[in-house]
Amino acid sequence: MLEEVAVGGMLFSPLIVFIPIAFVFSVVTRFALFKTGTYQKLWRPAWCEVSLFVCYLAIVVLIAGGY
Amino acid sequence: MGTVVRIIVTLIIVALAVLAGRWVWERYLHAPWTRDGRVQAHITTISPDVSGWVTQLAVQDNQKVEKGELLFTIDNARYQAAIEEQQAAVKARELAWQLAQHEYQRRTKLARNNTISQEELEVTRISAEQARAEYNLAMAKLNTLQLNLQRTRVKAPQAGTIVNLDLREGNYVSQGKPVLSLVRRGSFYVTGYFEETKLSLIHEGQRATIKLMSSNQPLTGKVVSIGEAIADTNINRNEQLLPHVQQTFNWVRLAQRVPVDIELDPVPENVRLVAGTTASIHLNEQ
Repeated sequence: MLEEVAVGGMLFSPLIVFIPIAFVFSVVTRFALFKTGTYQKLWRPAWCEVSLFVCYLAIVVLIAGGY
Repeated sequence: MGTVVRIIVTLIIVALAVLAGRWVWERYLHAPWTRDGRVQAHITTISPDVSGWVTQLAVQDNQKVEKGELLFTIDNARYQAAIEEQQAAVKARELAWQLAQHEYQRRTKLARNNTISQEELEVTRISAEQARAEYNLAMAKLNTLQLNLQRTRVKAPQAGTIVNLDLREGNYVSQGKPVLSLVRRGSFYVTGYFEETKLSLIHEGQRATIKLMSSNQPLTGKVVSIGEAIADTNINRNEQLLPHVQQTFNWVRLAQRVPVDIELDPVPENVRLVAGTTASIHLNEQ
């Protein structure tokens, strides 16, 4: 279920919470890729990063949203 | 790693992202949910049936009342006096009727030995009937006045809770003018205002999950009805009876919202429902 986030009586979209979570996952992945050296081997790493962020966001929505 | 493999890996990730992004977008835009829901209840506005001063106020603000419980009483001196007056009038009519009847009976005997004409007899018979009718009229009026007297005691039409009581002892209340309102017990339901783009996903009987802004505990319910009309602002007319056609941007259209009524399943005891408060509603997709 998509729920709103109530902050001080105001309702916000749950994406306000989901996006930072996905972002944290992206940062962790990026670190891991750097450490293992995979990052340099990727073709167009920026594309990959953005795409991974979107995938993470979808996963977060899937889990936190209750589907 | 070969260049081809590198390209393929990136492309796969991008393709996945496109699919995932599309899924999130669809879900956000087309799932039947709304943040624009309101808790509703059946509100009865109570108006006195007779006018007068409030002599006794038997309830307090937000008090729970049972059906038939006294809410307030209106000064009944005037209604009592009217009854006494009418009782006297009834007595007078009754006596007049008796007299007319007596005259008729006497003239019936006289008519037998042809002392009086048939016409005179008929006149007395009609007078007696008339006197009876007047007596009945007076009785009926007495009943109305007694009803008025009863109605000086205003009672709760159903079990519920008094809200926003602004009535005080000594206030003058007028017949038919609402003075207090009552929230009917157990009449709570939820109305969700769903965008018209989501209307095709909603049908009667659909299960709903409701989250109140006031509580984290989700409630459940089911769709009972979907509103069949909302106001069209283009129908408004000006003083010359010309239509007020609203200007719109060519591309940007705001979806209007349609009210959908949702019946609540039994609500847990620790959840307090207040009519008018905000709720988010999510309908199950099936």
